[in-house]
Amino acid sequence: MKTYIFHVSGTHCASCKIFIEDALNEYSFIRKARVNLREKTVHIETDSDQSPEALTQTLTDKILPHGYRLSMEKMIPQSHTATLWKAIPIGFVVLVLFFLLQKSGILNLGIGGQITPVTSFIIGLIASVSSCLAVVGGLVLSLSAKISQDDSRDTTTFVLFHVGRLLSFAILGGVLGVVGGVIGINATFTTILGLFASLVMILLGLNLLGLFTKHTVGLPVEFFNFFRNIQHKHLTPLAVGFATFFLPCGFTQSMQFSALASGSFLAGFSIMLPFALGTLPILLLLSFGSASFSRGKHAPVFFQSVGVVVIGFGLFAFLAALAGLGIISPLFNI
Amino acid sequence: MGKILSIILISAFVIALGVLFVIGFKPDAETTGLTQNVEVRDGIQYVAVRAKGGYSPRVSVIQAGFPTKLIVATDNTYDCSASLVIPSIKFRKILQPTGQEAIDLGTVRSGEKIQVLCSMGMYNFQIKAI
Repeated sequence: MKTYIFHVSGTHCASCKIFIEDALNEYSFIRKARVNLREKTVHIETDSDQSPEALTQTLTDKILPHGYRLSMEKMIPQSHTATLWKAIPIGFVVLVLFFLLQKSGILNLGIGGQITPVTSFIIGLIASVSSCLAVVGGLVLSLSAKISQDDSRDTTTFVLFHVGRLLSFAILGGVLGVVGGVIGINATFTTILGLFASLVMILLGLNLLGLFTKHTVGLPVEFFNFFRNIQHKHLTPLAVGFATFFLPCGFTQSMQFSALASGSFLAGFSIMLPFALGTLPILLLLSFGSASFSRGKHAPVFFQSVGVVVIGFGLFAFLAALAGLGIISPLFNI
Repeated sequence: MGKILSIILISAFVIALGVLFVIGFKPDAETTGLTQNVEVRDGIQYVAVRAKGGYSPRVSVIQAGFPTKLIVATDNTYDCSASLVIPSIKFRKILQPTGQEAIDLGTVRSGEKIQVLCSMGMYNFQIKAI
């Protein structure tokens, strides 16, 4: 019999201890598994002849779907501040480029005449790199990076999210066409939703930076448990994707307005779906880019850079939303 | 070494971001006369503002004491500037992509400032009465 001490990550709740111990004890070669939450370690007594490396892998495979990971070395500390010196400049470069792009006026190209599926697709393409990217893209990026950080093989969650998004634009676009001018989407509601989204981004961004390990037990983790709750594993990403229809984005609101005026289900549908398809390439790039980076050796720098960018976007969206509600006077004009 | 370089880079980018935002700031200086986009016809004061990828002009100076209408012109405007918000009069509307929207501002008192912005808050302009 051998005894090992492994480090464990992802233990954010008291019940995690019981869960991990139960899961590991299901293996016949594990005699005893004991989790120390404060030290973030697992003591294992095993009959297995596997090397410690192989054993960590076997055991991690078992508990990874639930967001836990075993490692030989402590995964968190020193490396975080070391990579941060690379991540912050990278994050700032992205932010500066983004705001320069907004100021450049390239995105104001004229699209004339009637809205056809082709023009709404093009408007979608433009919207996906406009200031809407700070809200919708920031949210997608932070969620994707966080999910990839927890489990780099988890791509179904993204797919479901994007399917939910496309479905909501297609269906709700059609519904807007049918109901016509009777009801509009309340702009205050979307702004408040945007405020919420920006808070989620800031919290996820801080979480991705990994500097405040103590604070990871705040909203982000609970939000994630909800997001990837086993029972809602498929439903939740679909629902979050669906809800992006209501996120504040000037382009989305204009298209929704056109859909409202379009007069039929098919007309509303053929405005909103091409629009959502237009936004798709960039959003897919953000999701699957995160997933592929998370498998590479630059993963730590990548996640922290994303953290910086997302915090920047989150602050921008938060202050802009407060201004939109008339609570503060506008701080900037990009 | 890497750390020092990084600190220099970070400060440079913070300044760059700051400059980007400050450039976007309202040119507050010359408020001596009415701006050119303001005209009085038949006792009603009209302020014309263009909405596309932001608003222009950023500051309009009007005369106090006149019934005032704000005319916002859109021209294939699909971005946020089409989603107009005037907090002080609780006005919120998504404008037609191409057209003109007349908004009644009432009679504005001298010294009063009306802040207008898009619903996401990143584009804005100001109307000042003298």
